Amino acid sequence: MITLSSYLMISLALFLSGLVVMISRKNIIAILLGIELILNAAALNFVAYTRFVNDNIEGHIMSLFIIVIAAAEAAVGLGIVIRFFQMRESIHIDDAAQLQS
Amino acid sequence: MNSTIVSYLSQFEGHKKFISILSEALGFDATYLVAFLVFFLASFIVVNVMALVGGLGTYAERKISADIQMRQGPNRVGPYGLLQFLADGVKMITKEDIIPRNADKLLFTIAPLMALVGVFGSLAVVPFSSGFILTDLNVGVFYLIGVSSLVGVAIFLGGYSSNSKWSMLGGMRGASQIISYEVPVTLSILAIVILAGGLSFSTLVEAQGGMPHQWYILHNPFTFIGFFVFFIGALAETNRAPFDLPEAESELVSGYHTEYTGMRFGFFALAEYIEVFVVCGVAAAAFLGGYKVPFDLGTGDLLVNTLHLPPIIGRNIGQILQVGSFVTKTLVLYYIVIWIRWTFPRLRVDHLMTLCWKYLTPIALFNLVGCAVWLYAFDGQSVWELLSHLGGASSGGH
Amino acid sequence: MFDNILFILSASLTVVGAFSVVLTKNLMHSCVYLLAALFGTAGLYATLGADFLAATQLVVYVGGVVILMLFAVMLTGGDQDKENKFGITKVPSMGNFKTFLAGGVSALVIALVVLRLIANVAKQNPQGELPEFTSSVVAIGTKLVTDHVLAFEISSVLLLGALVGAAVIARPAKRGE
Repeated sequence: MITLSSYLMISLALFLSGLVVMISRKNIIAILLGIELILNAAALNFVAYTRFVNDNIEGHIMSLFIIVIAAAEAAVGLGIVIRFFQMRESIHIDDAAQLQS
Repeated sequence: MNSTIVSYLSQFEGHKKFISILSEALGFDATYLVAFLVFFLASFIVVNVMALVGGLGTYAERKISADIQMRQGPNRVGPYGLLQFLADGVKMITKEDIIPRNADKLLFTIAPLMALVGVFGSLAVVPFSSGFILTDLNVGVFYLIGVSSLVGVAIFLGGYSSNSKWSMLGGMRGASQIISYEVPVTLSILAIVILAGGLSFSTLVEAQGGMPHQWYILHNPFTFIGFFVFFIGALAETNRAPFDLPEAESELVSGYHTEYTGMRFGFFALAEYIEVFVVCGVAAAAFLGGYKVPFDLGTGDLLVNTLHLPPIIGRNIGQILQVGSFVTKTLVLYYIVIWIRWTFPRLRVDHLMTLCWKYLTPIALFNLVGCAVWLYAFDGQSVWELLSHLGGASSGGH
Repeated sequence: MFDNILFILSASLTVVGAFSVVLTKNLMHSCVYLLAALFGTAGLYATLGADFLAATQLVVYVGGVVILMLFAVMLTGGDQDKENKFGITKVPSMGNFKTFLAGGVSALVIALVVLRLIANVAKQNPQGELPEFTSSVVAIGTKLVTDHVLAFEISSVLLLGALVGAAVIARPAKRGE
């Protein structure tokens, strides 16, 4: 049957996929994909706990803010990626080794 | 609260009797099975009718364009050329299905399907009548906005995966246009949501009345402007002229579906025509009173009381009238969309972005604030109610 | 029964999507698989009774974030040169065996720790029937403008900052700079 731990397992799978993507990829956009997966795992955990453990909606609010922050992060992150590409003609993470252009 | 087609049917005696008979025959509680079957049947009907509407949309487009340009239009297949869309469908199915050699096969295959999924998914919350709505989600407006943006992803992927410069440019234009125009469209629906006080479509429609002065378009000046902002934005979101830049024939051959052949192209075309219907339906539901029929004919009480019909028949006649009202409003808007397409020239791409970000979005924001202030100041009354109060007060003073 | 079917469908969509993001070698494909995973997550929210959250997930991710990602992939193109400007061989941008090994090992370690925690949770809450479904829209709206109004306002400021910041950062360089 559906229990809290089944949701936690799915969230764990999401988190681990995001982690592997973040560590193994060297492309900045792919790393951002991994971050999105990890944020989703966290939001799913919040909603699952608020549903099964304490039946209020505080977790929904938390997940709502996580989604807001994820959207803001994606916008700024991709803006940085595009600017970086204009300067270095590359989106390889190892090319981002200088603080100054 | 969550009215669906099943909850409408379950108020009749025959439905309960059918469930009890089926439960005895099968040996378990058949309520869920019947609900599933009813949903399946209703979705089947809606999807097929919508595919028919999409097909007839191509016919209507050609016929109306011919009318505007003083031509005949299709008139060979069937009476008045009505079966032309069937002939086109057969032609598309029998054509060779070509995938370009350097195309991204996976994305090329799933892009047309994604467009269809997005459009058919949005049909789930379109309110055809107070009883015939597949599911009345209490976040219906939000859901519809989310699901219909799948079409944008599909257009983008279709343009990217074709590995052709024209497709690429078309796909990019399509995606940027769709995510830009989502902003004014959502804001102008939000103004209505504030007035109605709910996100589900039935709340939006039930807050309006049958007569035109009870519709939200004539509720106050802000919603009047909001309707036109919504309509212009919806035209752009469905890639209809004068905003059909993703498929601009004069510049991009045929845009994001240049490389598509056969039924894959047919899926894109079908998705576009059905999306126009859905968007017109949303405009009708949110601004033009949706399925409401004048004089409360929709509930059937008047028929029952005056003609002494049995309540079931009265209610069903009311439902049919409601569907008729909704479909009539939607089709009038559909006609206007086609009319606009064949009378206005296409915008340039920078004009398109200027229109969205410098004009429509500020106007929509202004409308949103205006509606909120109106709700606070006048307690949600429409202009006509205020005027009648004014008249009543002055006549009372005499 | 319907809940179970919906749960299994969305869970498999989520997990398969997430694993495909890891396994595919094509950045565009991994964006599409991410879309599938996010869609599945929206379905999971729906099974948890978070209807507003599910719709928000659809609007924000499908309509916004994934299209932005696809745009960024398209604008930056397929960058596949093997050496950097100093002549040192680069790791391929979608990773090679070594990086995947590093990622896999760290994932394994974290998985062991988290599984231990989940085992505790499962021991404490063996059962877990889903409570009756209620709409969450009104409750969320009330909470947002009463208890959490400060966070709400701060997040609106954050979004404004992100909007301006992204526009300033991504603006093309001026001529003669």
